[in-house]
Amino acid sequence: MKILCADPSPGDRTAVREALGDAGYTVREAESLAEASDTLDSWGPVDCLVTEHELPDGTGLELVEHARNTSPDAACALYTDASFAEIDTEAFGDVVVEYLPKEAGPDGVVDFVEFSAVSRTQTAYPLPDDEQARIEALEPYAKNPGAFSDSVDRLTEIATELFDLEAAAVGLVDAHEEQFVACRGRSFGRIDREETICTYALLDHDVTVIEDVQADPRFEGNEGLIEADIGFYASAPLVTSEGHAIGTFCLYDSEPRSFSERNRELLSTLADEAIAGMELQQQARGETA
Amino acid sequence: MSDDYVFPDLPLPDIAPGTSLLVAGPTHGGVRDLASRMIRSPNGEGAIVVTTNKSAERLVRDYRDSGADVGPDTLSIVDCTDGSGDVAEARVLSVSGPEDLTGIGIRFSDAYRKFASEDIKRVRTGVFSLSTLLSFSDLQTASRFVHTLAGRIGKTGGIGLFLIDPGMHDDRTISTASQFCDGRIEVREGADSAELRTRGIPDDSDYWRAFDTHD
Repeated sequence: MKILCADPSPGDRTAVREALGDAGYTVREAESLAEASDTLDSWGPVDCLVTEHELPDGTGLELVEHARNTSPDAACALYTDASFAEIDTEAFGDVVVEYLPKEAGPDGVVDFVEFSAVSRTQTAYPLPDDEQARIEALEPYAKNPGAFSDSVDRLTEIATELFDLEAAAVGLVDAHEEQFVACRGRSFGRIDREETICTYALLDHDVTVIEDVQADPRFEGNEGLIEADIGFYASAPLVTSEGHAIGTFCLYDSEPRSFSERNRELLSTLADEAIAGMELQQQARGETA
Repeated sequence: MSDDYVFPDLPLPDIAPGTSLLVAGPTHGGVRDLASRMIRSPNGEGAIVVTTNKSAERLVRDYRDSGADVGPDTLSIVDCTDGSGDVAEARVLSVSGPEDLTGIGIRFSDAYRKFASEDIKRVRTGVFSLSTLLSFSDLQTASRFVHTLAGRIGKTGGIGLFLIDPGMHDDRTISTASQFCDGRIEVREGADSAELRTRGIPDDSDYWRAFDTHD
């Protein structure tokens, strides 16, 4: 778990770093908005940001706003002595952050991290009930998703022909991102979990159909979907033999459309085929390792 | 003795600590009355009300009129209206408006912390209403806000009520909001009185039952 602590006070910063380090977390420090922003850009997504509100070159809320772009799922807290009167939230009404007065001390920060970051209570999307077990079930597949590409890619080809759609893909959804094993008709890189439709599809072990994506309030203003020209979406979950949905078999089209009950059944069958093949490959790999 | 939250004058089961509920119904159909009565704390409990429509003054007046015992030690109001915030019977934390979810969130955190510092361990939270917040923010931002509040309520063994008017929102918005909560109370206007039913609350049937309102 990666935690960034931003505070101009060396004493406060060190106390928090040591408390979090003793609790087993990986911590980086920054003393200014600029330094903390650089760390967010270069270190990759962080799980947690703890920041003083008053930074020498800006405010903690400016930093949280930056973190919401680079680490959208991060649990963020203002750890500060600043009063409400001194914290101008009006221009940052959409960042959402916890408030930890410094009197809570480093132990209060550890308590916040252990709950908010570990339980991921600041995500902008709901988590499946079995999220932790789901992530553990995904691990062996996520290590080298390319290894499954050939067999899965054939299924995406069949899917586009079968349903007369522009695109099909098989994606794996980890704690923070979706990465794709195979794409046909569209090319997707890694997508933040809060930006991908599959995040919502995972909540239900059934086929998900969104006939008109642009009319769905969950994806209002979603630039990635607009850019990829996604008007229609359907998916079936990839459910492991232990019952955890680790990803989805997805269909896309630029135009909204309907999707029959029979099509749902066929899509579900394709998803079952995909995960069955992946599990067989995974088992074979384990036996020859 | 059970730690469950109890509602003796309402046809509701006892509710386990840490539960957040979506309370769904038309704005003037008894839903606010129901939630307000659920929020009123017995001795030794605290209440936090996030109010987006009624000022703190009006909220306190309603409480007093209902015979509830209110005071700044047990009632905190996060006031997103243009009210003066000058109320003796509650600790009022004013926010510039319902679009400032960050401001609401940090004041909610502070109210919770203040109760904890005064050894008040049971806190009832009401967001009156989530519909207003949703009308000023996009669904993702409102989702993060609800998730954060419900997380704290779950961790500290409180109870949370998030009011929503299904008539104001797309079904997918209601479904998404529901997924951050542990259960749902649905309210409707019956033939003679308001009625409610519950979903997702253990040991309770999902039949419609009447309750008297003071609206």
